[in-house]
Formats: sequence, structure tokens, C-alpha cells
Amino acid sequence: MQLVGFPVVAGIVLLAFVANAKKSAHEKLNNPIRMASFAFSLGLFAYTTAMFFDAFADITTSGLAFNDYKFQDSYEWFPALGIHWTVGLDALSFPMVWLTTFLLPVTIIATWHEKNGATYFPTLLLMGGALIGVFVSLDLFMFYVFWELTLIPMFFLILNWGGKDRKYASQKFFIYTFTASVVMLLGLVTLYLMQPEQIGAGGKYGTMTGRTFDIPTLVEHATAANQNGWFLGESMQKVLFVMLMLGFLVKLPAVPFHTWLPDAHVQAPTGGSMLLAGVMLKMGAYGMFRLPLSMFPHALQHFQLALMIFGMVSLVWGAIVCLGQTNLKKMVAYSSVSHMGVILIGIATMQPMGWAAALFMMFAHGIISPMLFAVCGAFKHHYHSMEIGAMRGMAKHSPWLATSMMFAWMASLGLPLLAGFVAELMMFIALWYFIDLQGWSVLWMVGPALVLALTAAYYLWSMQRTIFEGGDETQPPASLNGDVVPDITNEEKMAMLILAAFTILFGVMPWIGLDMMDDYCRTFFEHMISNGIFKGGA
Amino acid sequence: METTQAFSSEFYTALLPELMLFAGLLALIIIPNLGKGTFRIPGTQIRLPWFMGGERYALTSNPHLPAWIATITLTGAFLAVGDSLRGGIDSLLVMSSDADEAKELLMINGFSRVFELIFFGALALASFASMNRLKVEGIGAKLDVEKLYNNRRQADFYILMLTCGLGMSVVALAQDLFVLFIGLELASFSTYVLVAFLKETKAGAEAGMKYFIVGSVASGVGLYGLSMLYLWAGSLQFDVLAATFATSGTEPLPLIGIGFVLVGFGFKVSAAPFHFAAPDAYAGASSPVAGVLATASKAMGMVGLIRMLLIVAAPESSEGSAVWLVCLGALAALTMTWGNLAALGSTNPKRMLAYSSVAHAGYMLAGLTAVGAWTWDPSFAGQEGEAALMVLTALLFHMVVLVAFKLGAFLVLSILESDGDASRLSSLGGLAKREPLLAFGMFIFMISLAGVPPMAGFLSKLMVIMGIVNVGVGTGAESLSDFHWVWWLALLMVLNSAVSVFYYLRVAVVMFFDAPEEGREGPLPSGWQVRTSIFACVLVTILVGIFGDSILEMCRSAAESLTTNW
Repeated sequence: MQLVGFPVVAGIVLLAFVANAKKSAHEKLNNPIRMASFAFSLGLFAYTTAMFFDAFADITTSGLAFNDYKFQDSYEWFPALGIHWTVGLDALSFPMVWLTTFLLPVTIIATWHEKNGATYFPTLLLMGGALIGVFVSLDLFMFYVFWELTLIPMFFLILNWGGKDRKYASQKFFIYTFTASVVMLLGLVTLYLMQPEQIGAGGKYGTMTGRTFDIPTLVEHATAANQNGWFLGESMQKVLFVMLMLGFLVKLPAVPFHTWLPDAHVQAPTGGSMLLAGVMLKMGAYGMFRLPLSMFPHALQHFQLALMIFGMVSLVWGAIVCLGQTNLKKMVAYSSVSHMGVILIGIATMQPMGWAAALFMMFAHGIISPMLFAVCGAFKHHYHSMEIGAMRGMAKHSPWLATSMMFAWMASLGLPLLAGFVAELMMFIALWYFIDLQGWSVLWMVGPALVLALTAAYYLWSMQRTIFEGGDETQPPASLNGDVVPDITNEEKMAMLILAAFTILFGVMPWIGLDMMDDYCRTFFEHMISNGIFKGGA
Repeated sequence: METTQAFSSEFYTALLPELMLFAGLLALIIIPNLGKGTFRIPGTQIRLPWFMGGERYALTSNPHLPAWIATITLTGAFLAVGDSLRGGIDSLLVMSSDADEAKELLMINGFSRVFELIFFGALALASFASMNRLKVEGIGAKLDVEKLYNNRRQADFYILMLTCGLGMSVVALAQDLFVLFIGLELASFSTYVLVAFLKETKAGAEAGMKYFIVGSVASGVGLYGLSMLYLWAGSLQFDVLAATFATSGTEPLPLIGIGFVLVGFGFKVSAAPFHFAAPDAYAGASSPVAGVLATASKAMGMVGLIRMLLIVAAPESSEGSAVWLVCLGALAALTMTWGNLAALGSTNPKRMLAYSSVAHAGYMLAGLTAVGAWTWDPSFAGQEGEAALMVLTALLFHMVVLVAFKLGAFLVLSILESDGDASRLSSLGGLAKREPLLAFGMFIFMISLAGVPPMAGFLSKLMVIMGIVNVGVGTGAESLSDFHWVWWLALLMVLNSAVSVFYYLRVAVVMFFDAPEEGREGPLPSGWQVRTSIFACVLVTILVGIFGDSILEMCRSAAESLTTNW
């Protein structure tokens, strides 16, 4: 499919072009390469937007059943093993793909003046291509290939353009997530080999193994088997669920697997952070929806409480740790952990609304967190420091940056009419339903409610120390060495404006994206209930 | 299966690659000696042109000539093997005579052909790359003696390369343990000398000595095992051994004998705890030779293991709990863990690669354990060894693609060696700035070794894991406790892969992040031959990872040809 191929090919071509050029010519190449990458990513964005109007805008009326995909396409890849290049989009993957193509040009604008642009921008394109690959693939093998492939450009983004401890951070990032995903790989392989064997069936099934990596087929098998008992047997389903979830929880990341994230974020360049927080973390949540939740609903019910606890702990712990941070970027990173907790809670409620909340959280956080990191990046770029309090009275020195920061912070803490609010509100309603349904104590609400206050606290407090307190011309940050205090560049302003506009757009009119997510969750639960896997009435 | 006798016409067509090697050997010995020498008929003044010795021609005294002869010969043999594999070959069994009691000598089938492909491919790449590695002095020098010496020395090196290839292919073809042993020794002795070839350096001499001593002890133990097997079965042919094993395999004598033989092969694949000489040997040898040790020589050891365990001992393992299976499983677990942990601590890139090759040996042994265990689940019996076939395919595939990225990594180090030194991790420092393309290649090799998609190394590791899991889960397993224990080897293997990422990535970080060592800025010494070899390796690593289906099919049919006589 063009969506994956184009950015990857374009990135490689541009990189090859740069590699062939002489060292001295690299400086001159920055601008043309940047323009080419930018134009290309814009084209990609236009393409996915057109796809939206073509197939997804009216999805609730046109309807898309569970395990049904648009733009589905399949080619043979390794017929011996039943591996196909299968791609397709549904309401689960499309918002993520759109988000990726939206963030690519925005990231390029926001980091317009990044050093060594000639290699930086193509690397961003490669990253985008790999990310899209994860979301569009409907084949376990292909999914895993792209899943790992995203590590490589990100590793280089951190290593080549990162902060002072980039060496440590990039390796930790790679090893941490790789370890989790090889365990996931073993899970995938075991799942692959335990499916019913179709010797000599051909087609989707491997000629050598008689099994398939095709996700829609596997989901079909799973649904059929789950109707009367557990797909693959009870204990096996649980084991596989845990193995797959481990990979996804680390990527998400959920406490206690989150320790790679702050390091990676703090050391990553702004562009890397924007894509990392915006899309890459969502791979974890996306993977959960795509594989274990669709195939192992019984195990999901079994582990519901565990997931809920993971979610609660991530939510609360992330928020508490945020309070103690003195580094702006680290604080934002931990706030991501906290927000990912919302996704887990949404999933664990096992309510259509909770799931929709989780999906919308993925999407909304994908727009808001890049803005948070763009602000951090601009801060670092102009004040050469990331410490909260390095700059005081920013509202007076750098009104643009101060305004963007305020907007992003507010969006992230869930101000009504901004995108994040919608997801959080839905999550709370779903959680309330869930607690009511299970007859649990109301005390379960205390944690999330407390976090609302904590989130407001750490954001407002950091804002107070950065934007408002102190002031006049008296306290420019020491790191500037007495230079004139600058405001952000025009390109950065532009990126902030775009991100802000879309945050407002999806806050005021959430149904643009929410409709299809809601539809997905509804059809999923209908599917599960009509097949007798879940009990009705939820 | 067709049969033929030694030295029949079919024999010559089937053994074309080996004959090519033989011809190449003769050429290597003769051609560099061609000159204007004459021969005086005794008692007369008539001098006949004799062409040997005397003042040599410009072409025959060219120091690069031996390398070209060896490379062309090996490439020719490689292509001949590839050509015969393309159409899917029939098995051909070479007997000692056409009498009824004739003995089986060699078997030419897909299985042995794939191994020949590995051997000749690796050796061809290594000898091509060595052209830039062995110092060529005396070009343009006035002193012909020096030139001669240099040229001779070159010839020695490449003669050893060819004999090594010849010995290895005999190992792959042999149907008789004694024939196998002869091939093994031919290849081993060549490698001992090749390792010590840089005898001017202390490391080279020490490496050669260590490798020789440990290697000959291992060979001796193996030979002792062979003699015990002979004592027990009265023959060293695989078919006789297998038949005898099936009836009386539980006796202590054959078990001890097989155990001793395994030690011999265990040394060749550098399985822990027989791997101690390997890091020293790899570090002291010139890098292309180390690359050959890590790929071709290792594959040769695997042939021996596969033949011994699967042909001879497999029928005995029908209940899946044979003693040797447990031993092999333990050996696999030990080898992969030890290799990876040791690699974590080594700061010499060549030692690191050596330990990584120990770890890879562990993965292969794990696969081999699974092949042996395939009969544990009775429901497999109806599938004609389908499960075992899958693991075998994976093992063959792994060994084939390993040539590309393991040897490639050594070749990159080889260029660094010509630049001065490659014995410290910091030698790689700043490679990305000095030579971006080489650094890119090395990065590809590293992540392929680590098993990151979409490189060939990922596919091969996935295949091995898949094969093991396939055997492990059996059919109708309901929980983890229903699995055969080889499944846990797969788990250990993925965890080990995760550990290994650390040291592979460290190389990448040093290349892209660290500054070059003092006085080592600027591009590396040129040498288009080694660069071409590296480029070929990169190409294979990436392309096989993405479009490797035909290679997979080839390995599959090779594995089938081994198992048809089960």
C-alpha cells in the first residue's frame, strides 16, 4: 500500500542522495531536503484526509462490522509460512494513521531549524513510514516487522540529535522495548503454531506450515472458538494474553514498565519526542486492541481487575511523580504515563464507552502531547535549559511561548472544549458505570478524582513558576549568559497554531473522530455479545 | 535414489564443484611458478623451454594472482552448486564398488549441496576480501626474490583456503564416519594454519597454537569415540550404525562413543564448554579467516552433529526423552547463555563477535534438540516428520544467511585492521564520520545478528524459534505444562536475544557517537575487493530478509532430502 511505501522509499532515496553528496555539500542540501520532505509529508496528509472523506466520514451510517476493513489489500510475501503483505484500515487504525500523517508535517515545521537537516528530515519520514506500517498491517509477521522497525529510526533520532545523555537513553530505549517485544514475539509464534492447522489449504495458509499469520482469519478462528469455551484452551489463552500484553504494556508504557520513557523523552530531540509521545506510545494501546483484546476476550475478562489496577497505578503514580519534577520535559513525560493510565482504565471497564474513551484518548493525546513537547523543545531551544524556573516571568519576555505553553498545559489537564476533556469525561462516565455494575465501592473513584486535582496542580504550579512568577526584565535565565531573551521563531509559532487549532477542533467537534471509534466499540461488543462471549447488558 | 560407483561418469558430474576445487589447487601450485625456465637435454647443448621456474613472467609473478585464482575457483564451485540446486536435484549415492556388499561413501543430495553452498560462498567471499588484507609488498620492487617470496606466501594462503573448502565439502558429503573424519581433519588442519598465518604478530602465533592444541585434543577425543563406535558396530557407515543403534542403542558403549564424537564436533561449532579456544583464535586470526571460522567451519561442525544425532541416534529417541536429547538441551542452554554473557563483557570487537558466534551455536543446538524431540508427541507421527522438517529447514536457513552478516561484520573489521587495529571497541569510533557507508553496513550486520526485522537474521531466528515452538506445543496442548520442555529453550532463546541487543547496539553507538581514536581520522584504506564483498553481504542480508522465500524453499527441499530416509 502506498501509505507505507511512499514515506519509506522517499526517506531512503533522500538519505541515499545525501550519503552520496560530499560532506561539504551537506549544509547546502539542508534546505532542499527539508522542502522535499515537507512537501512529501503534506501530500501524505492530504491523501489520508481524502481517505477520511472517502470512507470514514460517514462510517456510522455506512457501517463497518467488527473485523471488517476498508482499503484491504493482500499480496504474497512468504507463501511457505503463510505470510502476506496484508493491509487494511478500520476505525481502530485509521485515526492513528491519520494522526501520523498529520504529525509528520507539523513535526517538520516545529523543528524547521534542526541541525543536520539533510539527514534529520528523511529519518523523520522513515519513522513515519514505519509507524504507518504498524497501524495498517493486518498480518502478524508484518505487524511485528514494522513494530521493531520503528525502533531503528527512533534510535538514530535520539542518538544523533538527542541531549547530553543520548547514548545511555537511546540504548535503554532500544533494549527495554526490544526485550518486551521478543517476549511478545514468542507469544505470537506460539499463537501462530497453536491455531488449527490447515495442511495443503494454500491461499492464506502457509504451504510449509499449514498455518496463517493473517489477523482477520485468526480473529475469525478465535471468535468461533471462543463461543464454546476458550480459544486455544483456558490456561494457554491466559499465558498468551500475558505474553502479548507484556510487549504492549512496556510500549504504552504502564507503571512499573515505564522507566525507559522519561529517559528517552528527555534525551530525544523535539521532533523525536513529538513522534514518540504522539504516535509511538499509541502503538502499545493499538496493539492491545488489535490482538489480545480481539482474540482473547475470555482472558480479558479474567485479567480485567489486573488491568484496572495497572491503569489506576499508572494514572496516580504518573501524576504524583510529575509533582516532583524539576525538569520540564521529564514532567511532560510522566504526564504521558499518567494519561496512558486513562487508556488502560478505559479498556478495563469493558464498556463500549470506556473503550471509545480509550481510543479517543489515544487520538487526543496524540495531538496534545506533541504540542507539549513542541513547547518543551522551543523552551530548550531558546533558553538552553529545561529546568522549571530557569525562566521566570516568561509571559513578559516571550508572550508567544508563554501562550502556547499555557494552551498546551490546559489542554493536557483536560480543559473543557479541548480534545483531552472529551476522553477524560467519557472515561469517568464509563468507570462510574463499571463500578456501579460490579457493585464496587465508590472509593475506586477516589484515585482518578485525585489525579484530576494532581494534574491541575503540577501543570498550574509549573506554569506559575515559569510564566508568571518573578518577571520584568530582571530575571533572564542564567543559561542565556546575558543575551537578549528571544521569543519563538515563526516556524514554531506556526506549528503551535496548527496543533492548537486541531486541539480545539476535536474538542468542540469530537464526533469527527469519535463517531467511528464509537462505532468500532459498539460493533465489537455487539459482536461479542451476539456470539455469546460476553454477557449482555453491559 | 540413484546409486553409482566411485570414479564413474556420474560421479564426476556430481562432484563437479569438488573437482573444480581440485583443479584450482593444481593451478595455484603450478601457475605462480611458470617462467622462462628451460630444460637441457642431458649430454647435449639443446635447451627445451620447460616453462617452470627461472625468471617468471610478469603475469605469473603478480602477487595478486593466487588470490584471483582461488576466488575464481571458489566462485565457480559456488555457482556450480547453485546451478545444480536450482532445479532441485536427485539424490545420488556413491558406493565403493558395484558389488552387493559395497559400502556407502558419499551422498550428493540437496542437504549436502546446501552446505557446499555455505562453504564455498563463505570461502569465496573471504578469499576475495583477503586480497586487500594480506600485505602485498614488492610490487615494483627491484628485488625479484622478495617479490617471489611474497607471491609464494600469497599462494600458500589461498592453497589453504582451497583445501579447507575441499575438506569441508567432504564432511558434507560423507556417508561414513571415517570419510567424514578425513574431511574434518583436512579442513581443520587448513584452518589451524590459516589462523596462525599472521605469524609475525604475537597474537597470530598464540592464536594458532591455542587453536591447534585444543582442536587436536578435540579431534583426538572424537577419534577415540569413533573407535569405540567401530568396536561396537563393526562399521562406521551411517546406515550400519543407525541400524545397530535401533536395535541395541541403549548399551553404554555407543552412548559413550557418541558422547566423545559430540565433543569433537562441539569444538567445531564452538559450543560451551568447548569454546575456550574460539575467542582467542578469532581475535588472533586475520578477520576474513575469523569470518570463515564463524560461518563455514561452524556449519561443518553442524553437519557432523546433524549426521551423528539425527541419522544415527534419532530412531532411538522415539519416546522423546533420550539421554542425549537432555544433554544437548542443557548444552544449548549453557552455550547461548554463556556466549551472550561473555560477549557483554568483551571490549574487543573480534572477541565479541566470537562470543556472539558461540551464542548463535547455542541457538542452533536448541534447534537441533527440537529436531531430536519431534517424536515426543505421538500425533506427530502421522505427519511424516513435518515438525522436525521445519526445524531442520530453519537451521539450514540460519546457517546460509549467517554467512552474509557474520562474515560481513568480520570483513568490516578487516578493513579497520588494515587501517591499524581493530582489537578495541574504540577502534570502531567515528566510523560513521570516516566511512558512512561502511558504518551503515556494520549497523545492518549488527541488527541482523541481534535479530531485528526486516533483516535476514530476524527471519532465520524467527524460523528457528518457530520450529522449536512447533515441536514444543505439539498438538492439542491446553496449557504450558502440556508442552514439551524444548519450548522453554525457545523462551530462553528470545531472552538471550534481548540480552544480545545490548552488545550489538554498543557497536552502533560507538560507530555513530564516539570520536575516532587518536590519529585515525579520515577515510580508511581503500580496497575495492573487500568493499565489494561487504556490499554483497549487505545486499544479501537485506534482500533475503525481505524476499527470502526462494532461499527458504531451497532449505526446505534440502531438509526433505535428509529426512526421506527416516
